Amino acid sequence: MTAVPSDATAAAVPGAPAAGLPLREWMLVLPLAVFFTAFVLGPLALLGYVSLHTDVSLETANLGQYVKFLGDGFNRGVLWATLWLGLKVTLLTLLIGYPLAYLYSVSTPRWQKVLILLIVLPLLTSAVVRTFAWLVILGRQGIVNEALVAIGLLEVPAKLLYTPTAVVVALAQIELPLMVLPIITVLAGIDPNLRQASLSLGAGSWRTFLQVTLPLSAPGILAGCLLVYASSVSAFVTQTLVGGGQQMFMPFYIYQQAIQANNYPFSAAIAMILLASVLGIVVATNLLARRMRGVVNG
Amino acid sequence: MQSAPTATDARSPSEVVLDRVTHRYGSFTAVQDIRLAIAPGEFLALLGPSGCGKTTLLRIIAGLMRQTDGHVTIGGEVVDALPPNERGAGIVFQSYALFPHMTVAANIEYGLRARGGMAKAARMAMVERMLDLVRMRDHAARLPRQLSGGQQQRVALARTLAVSPTVLLLDEPFGALDKNLRLGMQIEVKRLQRELGITTVMVTHDQEEALSMADRIAVMSEGRIEQLGTPEEIYDRPRSLFVANFVGTANLFRGRLEREGEGFAVQLDAGGRLPVASPGPCSRVGPVSVSVRPEHLMFVPPAQGLLVATVELALPLGPTVVHELALDGGGKVKVTLARTGGHACLAAGMRTGLAVAPCAPVSVFQA
Repeated sequence: MTAVPSDATAAAVPGAPAAGLPLREWMLVLPLAVFFTAFVLGPLALLGYVSLHTDVSLETANLGQYVKFLGDGFNRGVLWATLWLGLKVTLLTLLIGYPLAYLYSVSTPRWQKVLILLIVLPLLTSAVVRTFAWLVILGRQGIVNEALVAIGLLEVPAKLLYTPTAVVVALAQIELPLMVLPIITVLAGIDPNLRQASLSLGAGSWRTFLQVTLPLSAPGILAGCLLVYASSVSAFVTQTLVGGGQQMFMPFYIYQQAIQANNYPFSAAIAMILLASVLGIVVATNLLARRMRGVVNG
Repeated sequence: MQSAPTATDARSPSEVVLDRVTHRYGSFTAVQDIRLAIAPGEFLALLGPSGCGKTTLLRIIAGLMRQTDGHVTIGGEVVDALPPNERGAGIVFQSYALFPHMTVAANIEYGLRARGGMAKAARMAMVERMLDLVRMRDHAARLPRQLSGGQQQRVALARTLAVSPTVLLLDEPFGALDKNLRLGMQIEVKRLQRELGITTVMVTHDQEEALSMADRIAVMSEGRIEQLGTPEEIYDRPRSLFVANFVGTANLFRGRLEREGEGFAVQLDAGGRLPVASPGPCSRVGPVSVSVRPEHLMFVPPAQGLLVATVELALPLGPTVVHELALDGGGKVKVTLARTGGHACLAAGMRTGLAVAPCAPVSVFQA
């Protein structure tokens, strides 16, 4: 560092008040607030406005679209299937993600570097690319089928792609980092002496895990579950391509109503219902977790 | 023990023997060839600077890590292959390591539940006894984060004592407490240890803590025990320069040990001649360093002094005053005076003679 930049900064500081605008802390939020208003709150309000109309010309405002959606068994089925899909994906991700995060937390720094690369790597490719990878893996001439036929376990290739299970498995893989990373963070924050204290008090490894490590990692589990859930119910590309339209989920329904049927008010209402449902589940889960004092600490 | 009925009633305190215990981390030797026998009911302090291997040694005794070499015997049984919970040793961690998601009572009950074989009612009775023992009955339903540092430590002690260990291991137990609270807890732990008669090993880097609490102190440095002895022995007759410097404050004077009549005397480089009846640990004539504690030096008129010095600073510490002086022959010296009788501090710039108090323990080390 030469003296020149520091002189420049020194000159700039007394210059700042001279500009006539006193800097206040709240001003630091302005850029984000403007961005958020313009690109999140604004469109959301517009979406809500559109959803409150029965006609495409947006002349009469009422709750007709919502009544139409919720009054129809098929529509409710799509909503239910979507929320249920999110739950299955979340549970599968937790089942795979927790042991992986735990493995990371007990590994040596050397292995941690390898593991974190493997965990984060999927995030570095787009969800579309990962979805196509699953098409290649699960297809009729895909790797899994070819292998199973080759070793004689199958006579003819099985139908793996375009099944509900395929959607769950593919989504779980794609969302895995969102589950693993928060849990790793929480596990790393647990005082290692707690484990040792438990062992020296006479608890075995399993009791120590179930009564100390697991409860203390609950905040990470909760964060991971909410992220994965919110992300998987709205995963349009994966749901559509791996599911192959065999089962309708909310994101595709929105797309279909807006783009194919040109029914913007109805598709806006579907979007609002999906948003409200997910928001409701997130808030309810948080409240439930907060009430379980002792399990989620802090 | 009758006055405080506890779980330890049933068990007698164990002897702990370390036999040539060595531990290496890769090429680094953390503890080397430690031989130590801790008597049943004894309170031993492992004292040393950070990195001297004292905590490693404590964890080896606890069974939280396995030594590379040597054996640990607790109560006559070699426990090298035993997991922590089967050794009968209970450890209290420096950070207390209370389970943050459990109440005080649940923390104390944890070990009893983990060990099993105890009905709920019996466990609760034990928890109550432990709460009384550490005077935390009113806080049974609190979470650890709602407690002060001293209270957390009492809970940590109760949790460890609840499972009736025959050996209590304390890892820097007072490090996280502020000074006022520390003295109170030291007295409390000492009282508990006496009442229960439990063999106790405490790791500390605080020499005052070791001196005030332990029956014996093992001063450690670089993985070895430099000296093992009672607090008086360690303080008055340090066996090495390291011990003299680490435990208490030492004024070191360079000089030459010479024979003088029946005994010896040290001809100091700074001038003056200090008679030493029986020099130790070094008694070989030749160049030496002499260590004199600050409280064993006295101010005398310059003409009568062994050495002459100029006062540079006086620090009143309440019960005592520490003076720092510059010797005429070069070098600094510290003198501590009790403030009984309302002595005023010597003012900076005053010249004074220094003498060694009669019968004061003086240590002679080979230079």
